[in-house]
Amino acid sequence: MFPGIDGFAWDTGHIVFLGAFYTVLLAIAATVSLAAMRSRRDFRLHHEQAIRWQAEFHDLPASCRRCRHELSGEVAERTCGLGFDCRRCAEHARLLAARSGGLPKAAVSDGVAAGFRVLADRRYHRGHAWVRREPDGSAVVGLDDLGTRLLGEPDAVELPPVGSRVEVNGTGWTLTRNGVRARILAPIDGTVTAHGGPDCGWALRVKPDGDGADDRHLLAGEEARRWTAREAERLQIALAADGVGAALADGGVPLDDIARAITPSELDAACGLVFLEP
Amino acid sequence: MDAPLIVRGLRRCSTRRFLAWMLPWAALLGVGLLAIGLCLVKGLNQTNMDNRFAFGLWIFLDLAVIALGAGAFFTGFLLYILRRHELSAVINSAVVIGFLCYSGAIGVLMVDVGQPLRAWFTFWHPNVHSMLTEVTFCITCYLTVLAFEYLPIVLKNRQLRRIPSFLVFEFELHKVMPVLAGVGTFLSFFHQGSLGGLYGVLRGRPFAFRDGFAIWPSTFFLFILSAIAVGPSFVLLTTWLVGKISGRTLVRPGVFQLLARISGWLLAVYVAAKCVDTLLWLNRTVPRTGAAPYQFYAWEPFGTWVLFVEIVAFGLAPALVFLSRRLRARTGWLVGAATLACAGVVTNRFVMTIQTLTVPTLPFEPYMLYWPSWQEVATFLAVVAYAVIVYSLSFRYLALFPQERELQQG
Repeated sequence: MFPGIDGFAWDTGHIVFLGAFYTVLLAIAATVSLAAMRSRRDFRLHHEQAIRWQAEFHDLPASCRRCRHELSGEVAERTCGLGFDCRRCAEHARLLAARSGGLPKAAVSDGVAAGFRVLADRRYHRGHAWVRREPDGSAVVGLDDLGTRLLGEPDAVELPPVGSRVEVNGTGWTLTRNGVRARILAPIDGTVTAHGGPDCGWALRVKPDGDGADDRHLLAGEEARRWTAREAERLQIALAADGVGAALADGGVPLDDIARAITPSELDAACGLVFLEP
Repeated sequence: MDAPLIVRGLRRCSTRRFLAWMLPWAALLGVGLLAIGLCLVKGLNQTNMDNRFAFGLWIFLDLAVIALGAGAFFTGFLLYILRRHELSAVINSAVVIGFLCYSGAIGVLMVDVGQPLRAWFTFWHPNVHSMLTEVTFCITCYLTVLAFEYLPIVLKNRQLRRIPSFLVFEFELHKVMPVLAGVGTFLSFFHQGSLGGLYGVLRGRPFAFRDGFAIWPSTFFLFILSAIAVGPSFVLLTTWLVGKISGRTLVRPGVFQLLARISGWLLAVYVAAKCVDTLLWLNRTVPRTGAAPYQFYAWEPFGTWVLFVEIVAFGLAPALVFLSRRLRARTGWLVGAATLACAGVVTNRFVMTIQTLTVPTLPFEPYMLYWPSWQEVATFLAVVAYAVIVYSLSFRYLALFPQERELQQG
């Protein structure tokens, strides 16, 4: 095994065989050490949230990762590969430029999509959080109608402490209902300045990074309505009985507290799909 | 009860039903552990191996599972090196199967060699001129690689991934996976080959001895080829079987088709190479040793029918099914062909291990048959039980088939 050990000789057999063996061992050790060192660096640079989203986004079913331009009908089929961060997407910029009428304007009036309210004064994140810019430059963040109705009255709410940072696609806050914990993704980067509550209609007040104007990854107006309708459809399919699949609804409006009407395991599965947490 | 551990959105049977499934396997494992204990404490007199049959059921099992486990490295090679992204649907399952095959094989080898506390001797004082040394080093290294490939799958468990350090390490480990896949491919090629070479260099056993290229007998190359040909078939077969047992659709049909196509082409090449090798062996190698080829097949039950079954029924037939677009589109044919292909590699390893030793090599030697003792059989079954238990736990608590959730939603 090593020079000096009984049985070792400086001949071709030993040098070639053990040389190859040590090279392989070294390659394995170096590869794993590299992964460990990179992990340490990620922690030092506080990249955990970004990595969590990247890893989880990769694990989401393709149906959860449809591109917004597929929902708007601009492309036939496209799966997002950038974690819904349209700010970094060259294809998004190209498709926007190709739109004859430019970026669809935010709807001037509130609307309803598949029974869920889509409000004109806010922009929606794909994880069902919304952002509303306030006159004082801050932004308030909350859970959209579909998310609110799905979870109903939560048993517990965990908000990040005032002064802490939130970042796009990182953990915004968590809600627990019937033993199911749902993590709501933060829709913007910024610092938490206040907590809201059910009475305010929002969860967090955030001081956005910079001027907070870059909200290209958020949906508004007609685009938000189409997306909400698709999300309602996905939720319906997810909650359908085994083997039934998609079926046309025979009227009615969504329940205010869907969680109360379904089992915890169904709620758990639905939360995974809706709040993008596999 | 264990719902928080199950991957979000996946449907699994109740805890009670799962425990009922595990119980018989646990009992089998228990009996096997007792047999292993007897062998380790009392020695190899607990087995029916002797000076003639130094290789028995255990070495046959080792060779068979290592060949079937080739699906892990070959799927990894196709996915990470050749970029066949469709195979990401089965790579996790292939890695778990590979890990179980190799760890099971090493476990049985430890019982066979005995004195596990002195296992390090083989590394400290290696005989570098022995094919077995290469096998020992390669499978130990490859098991380490498989463990690092299995680790990210475990760390992705729903509860474990909540721990930030696990999540980040898993993420970074996943990024270096192509390197590990490359190392695994290198190691696997060599040890699959060395296992075959081990028989091909047995000059005293004309039934196994083969000519070859440089220091490598033809069996070196045939073992590699048969393992990579059957590996995808075994992945296909296990995926189908798991889907049937669990009542879930785990992958899209296209994945099965691709695995079948890969297996079909490689199997066809293997069958051609095996035919050429057999003809050369019968007409050139055997006469040179002074033996007559017909002698090898003069004793039943190991007549020429074994050769026919191995090459035609378990080699050519599944290759033709896999290569026929019409037949491989039918699940029954596909699964049947995959079963035959796996049976083929198992038969080949049986022939090389057991039939080689049954054939007498000296005029005064009798023809002998070997039957394993209950301790050998129980140890064999313990490996099967271990594999089923660990795979069942992995299937229940880890995301082995990424397409499953999507297919479940219709």
